[in-house]
Amino acid sequence: MFSLKPPRPTFRSYLLPPPQTDDNINSEPKIKKLEPVLLPGEIVVNEVNFVRKCIASDTSQYDLWGKLICSNFKISFITDNPMPLQKFHYRNLLLGEHDVPLTCIEQIVTVNDHKRKQKVLGPNQKLKFNPTELIIYCKDFRIVRFRFDESGPESAKKVCLAIAHYSQPTDLQLLFAFEYVGKKYHNSASKANGIPSGGGGGGGIGVGGGSSQKTPLFETYSDWDREVKRTGASGWRVCSINEGYMISTCLPEYFVVPSSLADQDLKIFSHSFVGRRMPFWCWSHSNGSALVRTALIKDMLQQRKIDQRICNAITKSHPQRSDVYKSDLDKTLPNIQEIQAAFVKLKQLCVNEPFEETEEKWLSSLENTRWLEYVRAFLKHSAELVYMLESKRLSVVLQEEEGRDLSCIVASLVQVMLDPYFRTITGFQSLIQKEWVMAGYPFLDRCNHLKRSEKEAPVFLLFLDATWQLQEQCPAAFEFSETYLAVLHDSTRVALFGTFLFNSPHQRVQQSSEFAISKNIQLGDEKGLKFPSVWDWSLQFTAKDRTLFHNPFYIGKSMPCVQNGSVKSFKRTKKSYSSTLRGMPSSLKNGIISDQELLPRRNSLILKVKPDPPEQSDSQDRGAEQYFREWFSKPADLHGVILPLLSGMHIKLWKLCYFRWVPEAQIQRGGFITAFHKVSLLADEVDVLSRALRQPQGSPPEAPCPELVQSRVYFHAGGPHDAPGTPDFLSSSFPFSPVGNLCRRSISGTPLGKFLSGAKIWLSTETLANED
Amino acid sequence: MASAPTSKYNSHSLENESIKRTSRDGVNRDIGEALPRLPGETRITDKEVIYICPFNGPIKGRVYITNYRLYLRSLETDSALILDVPLGVISRIEKMGGATSRGENSYGLDITCKDMRNLRFALKQEGHSRRDMFEILTRYAFPLAHSLPIFAFLNEEKFDVDGWMVYNPVEEYRRQGLPNHHWRITFINKCYELCDTYPALLVVPYRASDDDLRRVAAFRSRNRIPVLSWIHPENKTVIMRCSQPLVGMSGKRNKDDEKYLDVIRETNRQINKLTIYDARPNVNAVANKATGGGYESDDAYHNAELFFLDIHNIHVMRESLKKVKDIVYPNVEESHWLSSLESTHWLEHIKLVLTGAIQVADRVSSGKSSVVVHCSDGWDRTAQLTSLAMLMLDSYYRSIEGFEILVQKEWISFGHKFASRIGHGDKNHADADRSPIFLQFVDCVWQMSKQFPTAFEFNERFLIIILDHLYSCRFGTFLYNCESAREKQKVTERTVSLWSLINSNKDKFKNPFYTKEINRVLYPVASMRHLELWVNYYIRWNPRIKQQQPNPVEQRYMELLALRDEYIKRLEELQLANSPKLSDPSTSPSSPSQMMPHVQTHF
Repeated sequence: MFSLKPPRPTFRSYLLPPPQTDDNINSEPKIKKLEPVLLPGEIVVNEVNFVRKCIASDTSQYDLWGKLICSNFKISFITDNPMPLQKFHYRNLLLGEHDVPLTCIEQIVTVNDHKRKQKVLGPNQKLKFNPTELIIYCKDFRIVRFRFDESGPESAKKVCLAIAHYSQPTDLQLLFAFEYVGKKYHNSASKANGIPSGGGGGGGIGVGGGSSQKTPLFETYSDWDREVKRTGASGWRVCSINEGYMISTCLPEYFVVPSSLADQDLKIFSHSFVGRRMPFWCWSHSNGSALVRTALIKDMLQQRKIDQRICNAITKSHPQRSDVYKSDLDKTLPNIQEIQAAFVKLKQLCVNEPFEETEEKWLSSLENTRWLEYVRAFLKHSAELVYMLESKRLSVVLQEEEGRDLSCIVASLVQVMLDPYFRTITGFQSLIQKEWVMAGYPFLDRCNHLKRSEKEAPVFLLFLDATWQLQEQCPAAFEFSETYLAVLHDSTRVALFGTFLFNSPHQRVQQSSEFAISKNIQLGDEKGLKFPSVWDWSLQFTAKDRTLFHNPFYIGKSMPCVQNGSVKSFKRTKKSYSSTLRGMPSSLKNGIISDQELLPRRNSLILKVKPDPPEQSDSQDRGAEQYFREWFSKPADLHGVILPLLSGMHIKLWKLCYFRWVPEAQIQRGGFITAFHKVSLLADEVDVLSRALRQPQGSPPEAPCPELVQSRVYFHAGGPHDAPGTPDFLSSSFPFSPVGNLCRRSISGTPLGKFLSGAKIWLSTETLANED
Repeated sequence: MASAPTSKYNSHSLENESIKRTSRDGVNRDIGEALPRLPGETRITDKEVIYICPFNGPIKGRVYITNYRLYLRSLETDSALILDVPLGVISRIEKMGGATSRGENSYGLDITCKDMRNLRFALKQEGHSRRDMFEILTRYAFPLAHSLPIFAFLNEEKFDVDGWMVYNPVEEYRRQGLPNHHWRITFINKCYELCDTYPALLVVPYRASDDDLRRVAAFRSRNRIPVLSWIHPENKTVIMRCSQPLVGMSGKRNKDDEKYLDVIRETNRQINKLTIYDARPNVNAVANKATGGGYESDDAYHNAELFFLDIHNIHVMRESLKKVKDIVYPNVEESHWLSSLESTHWLEHIKLVLTGAIQVADRVSSGKSSVVVHCSDGWDRTAQLTSLAMLMLDSYYRSIEGFEILVQKEWISFGHKFASRIGHGDKNHADADRSPIFLQFVDCVWQMSKQFPTAFEFNERFLIIILDHLYSCRFGTFLYNCESAREKQKVTERTVSLWSLINSNKDKFKNPFYTKEINRVLYPVASMRHLELWVNYYIRWNPRIKQQQPNPVEQRYMELLALRDEYIKRLEELQLANSPKLSDPSTSPSSPSQMMPHVQTHF
């Protein structure tokens, strides 16, 4: 059924085609019309028939026959053959089962095993051999492999070159989203003067889930104004000086500033800031302290003066006139190069071959990537700022050179911890709009859609990972599931959504206006093209599949809970806190008893100073240490602040995200999802019951309106005849399936790690020399 | 209110909970002192001490010593610390500081416990209080050295259910469909004459006569012949356990042993090879030849395939666990947690044990080959492998009672040397026979339950309470090395079984997500990517590390369950009130009374 130690193929065995077992492969591949499914504006650039997609590595018996096409959006493998061994496929409506969006491609390797040559294909490169094999390394850790043994050698070569060319565009406007949107505009113009749906999308997910409100995009004055009012911030106003991006091209058109600063002053100050990114408001605590982010002041002469003016203004906006706490993120947190380096190492480790070889040193290798250390650093720093805002009642200013990377993570994490709204789906989406999209996080550069920048860095993923850590520790506090986070991450690799395409809102307007002019699109009053928003989840997933975004453990505000046997509307009172210690983040040292001092040396009984009794607990001087300690001594208030446990063992690897394509790491019919499944069934039952209870008494059961009956959860409580067991298709990778996404073993003879990171070095010394 | 830093930091100790529980069953309490006492527990002394809490600093308290436990209550008003430690967990008592010691709290006792912690008490130098406490503790923690009975023999607790009735070998074999025409139950070992460390009742091939068995016994270390542990209900392949063959340096052969294994092979017609798993690393197996042992060679056993599983011996495991303690107690190694953890090799050993068990299970279930498992003596690694493989193959063992039977059968009755490995009541803390083999097995079970959250009827608390009482000496369950010794001491008559305590309060140990699935084989992924340190056990004494209790996910589930029951009740009331107006409720597809019953019965 499975072998524990697969035989290790040699390098030689990799270069020679695997022995054909004719009993399993139809030697005469079926000739049948295989047509790609194309989106509006999508065109097939090149195609090749009789391609074999490799599924398993040690055998070709599962391989699929079909056609490989390259379009301006994706590479697509079209086949009649059903996917073997796969019990479940989470379908993306934009992509077929075997498709890879061009923007998800990391590296393209062509191989000719007769000539023993291989080459990493860049754009506009020549290929001097006819490839027998194509290996696609994807940014999401998948590896897909095709063989061309039966295909026309020239067409195979052409497809490979087309993929290389189209996946590495030279210009932003060549990304498929522009074609797509252009087509939509043309289509809708011919019908009416309607504009394609774009915008905020719904809360998107929630059919019957109560979250059908739209995600605020923070493109308008009113979105900001509503946010100010929602948080109850006084002393802050929305300012419009950046309308038309007159001040800064990397700030939103509207943002929030201290009321005491006049537009005129702001305009003057703005010149002194990097990118003219003057301080702007993120969020206010109910106690009045505000979270503000800013770029650095580049004008050294003016620095003190401006700094003083700004701080005074922020202080003035605080009801208690509290001081400002400044946090210099560049000095305290890893920079984007370090984050990228950690991620590259993590990727190498997760897809490394062979699986068994990384086992022995897995833990230290994981530690050496430093990824978890960085995740922890961001969580820790954010938690400390939570303390400043909540307990010390200080306004916090996040300072960063440009203020467009680390600030995004920290500002978001602080708000996720402090404000339960941002732990709902709509709230979380609005947070990403507010602190990432509108605040000028350079998605284009960091995602590296154009494959040419050294600016690539998974800053956004690091934020999702840190959010996952919080979710892992406080599962009932989040409306969304980890599937949602993983899918959100994947969506950054589908270059269709305006959300993740640009370095700033201004870039969207500028680029799309240019494009519109060149394509004769009438924009009317629109500021740039309306690209589809990622929040319009119906573009990618069916309503049923979207229910997997919901976390069945979530205790929403409106959810009733049971206390002492009676059902109450959920409202946790402070009185229900017990005094049991729940532990505290021991990484937060400098406290009353530091960890090092605690260790009694052998044969000595050192007296430790006893911690002061926490009498002056209301005093402003108590440390963050004590704040955390107290927080952890109470049961978490799911509608209040949540804080992470931060010791080494509490920060974990996000397995769903990083292991989902690794067949060896998949737990069949196991993993957390099986408990998720169980709770979903129960939550569904409870929903059905509560609907039945809400039905007008005495009236006969109505034909249920389908929209109301649409369950919030993916798994339904079936009828009495359903076996109560764990469904066959569940696995620790669910809803993803590693089958076919990674043909691991047969490439295990090659040093894959070199392939992924140092491919150039390797190739230059060994094979590349043969090639060019 | 919630800020008292020293409030019951050990409130998650199951020991405490179990006492609270038994107090309802009539445990005495010294009024005024609130010292919990079990029936049969007597107070010996009490002393004022300073407890040097590694997490919160010194705390003044009064320590009470009974013949069962050490109980400390803080005397300080702002801290409600309570320590409740069964004397059985004490491994070593050392005096700290001498008459010339300077400095506060430098004179006292340091107590090393078997459950991953140390306790330090500072005492006054005057009045011989340390000497008294040292002597009393030594006497009652190590009763064997003082010709005193182990507390289990004094314990007078009464429970509604008798845990000794849980395991009845005849019934368990009958459940497996034994005897059948290939396998018979033999009473050859009724008086432990064939093998003094085996149970009285054994299952052997029908075609092997008792004389054959005796001849085989002569060729197996400590006469531990291959006997049946488990039979596959469908393909009828079996898991056999035994000790190593006595091959020795000269490569001795024994026709009877060879024939016996062939007879075992022949009970299974599906494959003509018998698979032998030697749990040891190859080199260890070879080295064992020097002391008369060895392994089954290809020449002698033509129809058998031998694989080594590379699991290390008891000494390696003991040292590994020691390293784990070093990095988690009292302080958790923070700066390089993962590499520190790696350097203990604990998870690596867990991985090897699980991998071995998976191979056994897979061979039996998918490979359709009968399997013989042995190590050197067949009571440590062999017990781990057979019991884990059985847990993977047979869902019955994943229920609370099934697991109790599994432990009772594969560990207790087949002579895992609990007394030697744990050192119950024995003062020789450095005894090379001690080793955390059973703990390692329970850790493997925990790892499996993490990977399959719905597959086990029991929860983490169940596993922890078993480990707590592995050391506590409150129950007779884990006392002595083998069945014959237990019989001689009349353990079942004179002591209480741990299963009595657990089974009379099962709800507390139930996993709410449990979904009973018959015939499902569980294959955990024995990869470092999934194995984790069992924080709630190994680091439970550290108040800063503790994870949320109760588990929030479990808690949410329980809340939903209560909510459902409440809604059903209300709906029923509603329907009752409206019944004359309502048509037959069964016509309504969403009628809960129709949808729920199958689920309701689970809880």
